[in-house]
Amino acid sequence: MNKVQENSTENTVSDRRAFFKKTAAISTVAAAAVVAPQNLLASEDDHAIMHHPAWAQKLGDPVTANLYGMPSKYEHNNTRRNTPLLASGNWQASIAVTPIHESCGIITPNGLFFSRCHGGTAQIDPNEFRLMIHGELERDIVLTYDQLRRYPSVTRTHFIECPANGGQEWRATQFNSVQFAKGFMASAEWTGVYIKDILKDLGLKKETALWMLAEGSDNSEMGRTIPIDKVLDDAMLVWGQNGEALRPEQGYPVRLLVPGWEGNLCVKWLKRLEFASEPFYCKEETAKYTALRKDGKAIQHFYANEVNSTVTSPSPEKPWTDLKDGDLIEIEGLAWSGMGTITGVDFSFDGGRNYVPAQLKGLVLPKSWTRWSIMHTYKKGQVLQLTSRAMDDAGYIQPTVDQEVGQLGVEGVYHRNAVETWEVTKDGKVNHVQIRS
Amino acid sequence: MFKLDRKLITSASVIAVAGLFAIGCSGGSAATPGDVAYKNGKATIDGGTYYPIVDGQTGPYAVNEAARNGGFTYGRKPTQNEIDAWNKDVMPDGTGLPEGSGSVEEGEELYEAQCVMCHGDFGSGASGTAGGYPALSKGNAYEMQKTMTNQRSGDNKDGDGPARAFGSYWPQTSTLWWYIQSGMPHPNTKSLSNDETYALTAYILSINEIVIDGEEVDDEYVLDREKFLKIQLPNENGFVPNIDGPNAPEDVRKFYANAKNFGAQNLNQGAVRCMKDCQADTVKTVYVKGAGISDFNPPMSVVRDMPKEEGPFDPAAAYEAACAACHAGYLSPGASEWAGYTGKGIEKVYANGINGTEGGMPAKGGSSLSDAEFKMVVDYLIKGK
Repeated sequence: MNKVQENSTENTVSDRRAFFKKTAAISTVAAAAVVAPQNLLASEDDHAIMHHPAWAQKLGDPVTANLYGMPSKYEHNNTRRNTPLLASGNWQASIAVTPIHESCGIITPNGLFFSRCHGGTAQIDPNEFRLMIHGELERDIVLTYDQLRRYPSVTRTHFIECPANGGQEWRATQFNSVQFAKGFMASAEWTGVYIKDILKDLGLKKETALWMLAEGSDNSEMGRTIPIDKVLDDAMLVWGQNGEALRPEQGYPVRLLVPGWEGNLCVKWLKRLEFASEPFYCKEETAKYTALRKDGKAIQHFYANEVNSTVTSPSPEKPWTDLKDGDLIEIEGLAWSGMGTITGVDFSFDGGRNYVPAQLKGLVLPKSWTRWSIMHTYKKGQVLQLTSRAMDDAGYIQPTVDQEVGQLGVEGVYHRNAVETWEVTKDGKVNHVQIRS
Repeated sequence: MFKLDRKLITSASVIAVAGLFAIGCSGGSAATPGDVAYKNGKATIDGGTYYPIVDGQTGPYAVNEAARNGGFTYGRKPTQNEIDAWNKDVMPDGTGLPEGSGSVEEGEELYEAQCVMCHGDFGSGASGTAGGYPALSKGNAYEMQKTMTNQRSGDNKDGDGPARAFGSYWPQTSTLWWYIQSGMPHPNTKSLSNDETYALTAYILSINEIVIDGEEVDDEYVLDREKFLKIQLPNENGFVPNIDGPNAPEDVRKFYANAKNFGAQNLNQGAVRCMKDCQADTVKTVYVKGAGISDFNPPMSVVRDMPKEEGPFDPAAAYEAACAACHAGYLSPGASEWAGYTGKGIEKVYANGINGTEGGMPAKGGSSLSDAEFKMVVDYLIKGK
């Protein structure tokens, strides 16, 4: 916090006299900053109130300055992040994860949406985009980007989650970070067309069109097989993300969206849909994205991301080190399920021994992030183990770590959705822990 | 909000559900495709809740049902040449697999030239600029397949886990052939001929010690389409649920109808929402070891301050981003082999880098660096500093 003050000084101080005045103020703040960085001293006039900062007296930027707006420079630490553990040799076969500790509401800004690719982010010229739909149809078709966008649009809010979210922690916790422990996901309002609405005119052969291949046009030509049930339910081809075109990292100009299902199935940079009587055995549904159980059998075609939740505040990134004894504080988090709508979240202060119901907040939508919270009076020095446990309208409830490992073993990599626990230490720091027998 | 869960669909409510579908369909002359998947009380394919479009509503969302009756005439029929150009997938039954052949020996030559820098000697894997490139073999596939039940827990906490590689884990070789031709070599995909793909497939089969129709894939082996279709990998039956044949969709629905099959807890299937005294007294708290994995880029921070100003162009960083994927193992920074390339003058080396070469160097390594910046990176590569 000391650093914040110094840097903002450099940015706003315009004359030498002001500099000295300000430096004097900083040293007082710095002394107090060790314990309570965000709090103000009770007995002194606050410099931030008592002077006119530069932005209050000088002209601001003209409206021509940022024709496409950018976040405040002070928000530069609110970014996607990556780590070599989550890379297969280079940053083109890797993932950059979403800072969910800084997320507000249930929509992720497009620039912070997690980014996963197998051969780098393709930069596609939409004028050369073609979508071919063929196979077990009466009529094959090829569409340009403009033609695809002529179809009647549908707009839906859904999260997309990599099924490896939390997958590094089957054996024990490894990330002391909510961004890395749970940030392989993000949420957006998507706009596109139901595939079933396009198929109405193409004569799907019901007896033989059991599977759909979705294939990307990127370096890796990433493909996945989608069962016809999903294609004819809510699968979409999307071009819109939070009111603008998809970002390249999310598959510009067009990606597949299979609401609630593995992010990997939502094939980006789409070029081709092929209908067939047998599945395609793509690389990413055999070598990867299959979950090995302890009986030696791997679950393939593991579609839906199951019910899940996490506390986002506090978290290792957002500790309680600044709280005073007796402060009333909101504990907040996210719950989500790819199998339905969140119906409730239970909350535990003792690592899952006893639970009380938490409160859902805001929009509660199917296959969507759902905000929840619970109010708490902070007791200085008290050690807590904060655990959330979500339920959905298909009847699923998050397993304990022991239940999930007991059924599946520890080598599955994908689809881990056991409850998450943060331990609040006596000085308000937050550590990622697991409660296991 | 209107919703149906799997239990409702499969229970006595089936008649009522069918009635709702009838209402939902009344706007069009034919049944809407969406109904097909769920009529006759079939479970959803993923075990989740189904939100049909009923009375212009799906879940909380309003729907313009007049837009859902088809009648669109956009686009055109693709030509057969266009379909052939894009329809390159290869299926387990051989659909899409072209004629051709290639030997293990030819495959090894190609491997040494185009693959070894990432996948390592004999497919053992190699470290890259970020993490490790995948191994293509972890030894004899038949032996390694037996490790699929290994669990790194309990007595075997620090022991070996399952050895997942092509030979030991993948169910089908069609996946390998297809992926080599569409997604490899990593920096220059879709550049291998059918025969070259057969040759590389043969080589990878050989390093996994695969036996085809009683014959081991040794150095002399020549793979062709006929032999390819006889390949059976040891872990072919290592996957659930069944996805093959006309009954597959129903097999998948049945699999996900039972939460136990995939490690889930369902309150409609006997799971309990415990609220009090839910744990044994003997449970332990497991902490992250040390700092855990924390080499994050950028480093973790939630400070709100002014960003550091960008420094001057850093050729080492540009190398990491644009070149290291291939050059980490081949003509690496400061490597002595560079002497064999600089003899014709530095301008020739610059030109080859900027324009690309037939040997596989993409123009500017596929980066968007300026010529001046790229030359600085070349200098860095040659000198190693």
